[in-house]
Amino acid sequence: MGEWPLHLLVLGPLLLGAVTYFLPRRAYQWGMGVGNGVLTMAALHLFIQVRWGVPLRQQLADWPQGVAIPLVADTISAPLVLLTALFFTCTYLFAARAGYMDKTFIFLFLLLEAAIFGVLLSGDLFNIYVILELGMIGIAILIMYRQDKQSVYDGMVYIMMNFIGMAFMMLGIAYIYRITGVLDLTLIHERLAALDDPRAAMIPFALIMTAVAMKAALWPLFSWLPRAHGAPSAPAIVSAVLSGVQVKVGVYLLIRLSTVFLPVVNAQAFFLVVGFVTSTVGFMLAIAQKDIKLILAYHTISQVGLIVMGLNLGTPEAYWGGMYHIINHALFKGLLFLTAGVIIEAYGTRAYSEIRGVLRRMPVIGIAALAGVLGITGAPFFNGSISKYFISLGAAGNPAELGLYLINFGTMLSFVKYGTILFGRPPENVRPRADPFVSAIALLFGLAILAGGVLGGPTVALLYGPEYAVRGAFSPGKVAIFAATLGVAIASYRWGVSRWDAWLANIRVFKPNFNQITVLITLFFAGLLAYTAWMNA
Amino acid sequence: MASVSAFFQQLTLADLAVGLFFIGLFGAMTQRNIIKTIISVGIMDVAAVAFFVSTNFTPGARPPVATADAAAVMMADPVPQALMITAIVIGVSVVAMCLAMYLRVMYRYETADWDILIRRLED
Repeated sequence: MGEWPLHLLVLGPLLLGAVTYFLPRRAYQWGMGVGNGVLTMAALHLFIQVRWGVPLRQQLADWPQGVAIPLVADTISAPLVLLTALFFTCTYLFAARAGYMDKTFIFLFLLLEAAIFGVLLSGDLFNIYVILELGMIGIAILIMYRQDKQSVYDGMVYIMMNFIGMAFMMLGIAYIYRITGVLDLTLIHERLAALDDPRAAMIPFALIMTAVAMKAALWPLFSWLPRAHGAPSAPAIVSAVLSGVQVKVGVYLLIRLSTVFLPVVNAQAFFLVVGFVTSTVGFMLAIAQKDIKLILAYHTISQVGLIVMGLNLGTPEAYWGGMYHIINHALFKGLLFLTAGVIIEAYGTRAYSEIRGVLRRMPVIGIAALAGVLGITGAPFFNGSISKYFISLGAAGNPAELGLYLINFGTMLSFVKYGTILFGRPPENVRPRADPFVSAIALLFGLAILAGGVLGGPTVALLYGPEYAVRGAFSPGKVAIFAATLGVAIASYRWGVSRWDAWLANIRVFKPNFNQITVLITLFFAGLLAYTAWMNA
Repeated sequence: MASVSAFFQQLTLADLAVGLFFIGLFGAMTQRNIIKTIISVGIMDVAAVAFFVSTNFTPGARPPVATADAAAVMMADPVPQALMITAIVIGVSVVAMCLAMYLRVMYRYETADWDILIRRLED
């Protein structure tokens, strides 16, 4: 089989959206289905080529390296491309019959897919900048698509703070171009290693990483995330896509650009600490929320922190654990957001205290949501347990191990709170809407979560290559720790959290305004710059 | 006084652009007026563009346009210029979008102040 031009994969979703826009209603749905299928097959083909072949590298228009815009697919980006394609296809099918799916919405949705593919496949720093801006505009429109309540305000804060981040990034790119004279990531890597004075790379590193940390929603730059992912008016599939794959673009850039800067700047310890703080603050804010979508949105921050911790612990087990957790988190958080959308629609409310008995009233959705909860809390035999086991294996002997216990407990606590909506007596006026697509996709996600746990070791080996024994994740000790954490979490929820409502309200109102957000961005930049200067002193 | 004027004379466009960037950042940190913060963010973007354009600047270089007779000597680096056309367009469209969103917010909540806006959102 020949080599496919990679830019077709980036342009594919855009072309699909543009061409099918003009088709009549019936042909439109067929076209979307076929188009999504073709994209998924292309992504699968790319993954197979890269995983069992060599990484692909293509220069656009056949210009020589250093002049052309390169497109690169390697063992880190190819699995994420496959995940993105599958995820978008599933969410499209999930919502195919929903009322808000008009053609403009789907076009924007596909634009977001193209932007994610673009960042994952691009090997050029400025190209990444442009595509991030494109994705940013698309997301802002998707957030405020229904223009109700405060969604326009959310969209405005989102776009303005990200614009500041992107200005930081452009200044950083300019510095990079000034000291290396290239924008190709591999060439930057080579030329940075050959620098006379490695301190020249400090300022661009701090500038670019500030923008990347904002895209990855690290503490204290995460205040855009709950606005975007938990926006009251954003449709369920937008929340699912943003939390499932879009925030991983930031994490991916963190991995990719850290490697580029590695010969001169090593900020692993900084990001380890930031990851831990992100995770802790994330679950504390999640516990304080009353809105089920906001619980999930804040919890995404916590999980991103966990992923960043795993990637920066410096041991291979933790690294691959973090990489696997990227995929696992996409599965269970995507499923949780999708089911939350269905639940909100059926119950007509978003307050967790008014939703009860989902398992009894909507058994299929309830079981799927339960699978998501079990996955995210790391229950044995579900996929979260495998990646968390790898991360804790890699953290053995490191003080971060204690932090992991804290994060696991916090996750458990926030999902004991979330899980209360599944049980109990349902109110009378619930009208579940039967939709075979919704049930099928929800169960598919649930099965994937279970399969990713039972077949955890082979899945990691299949996706990335390294083979680790996962038997430890199913050992009686781990199961006992899970049960004990669950017991403590239920107890502290029952006799603690549920009664501290006044105290939690103080955390809940912690929402920085735009000026404070800018101050936080500046402080993060200053902190990162001070840290790199201190490391290179 | 001589040292002050010497300091200003040795400043380059790049230095001024970095200064402008932080002026914009300061504005975004301190202004409560939404329009002023949008202007500040726009200034940051323009400053970054100015900085980028000034990289690899060689005095007396020819414009990077190929001519039949002259060989490619002393030609200005075309890459920053080409990239910055893209960046300027992106910057303009994002600022325009911010202003459009602000109009929506303004019609509904009738304020140009971030703090008052937040208070009215919670009511």
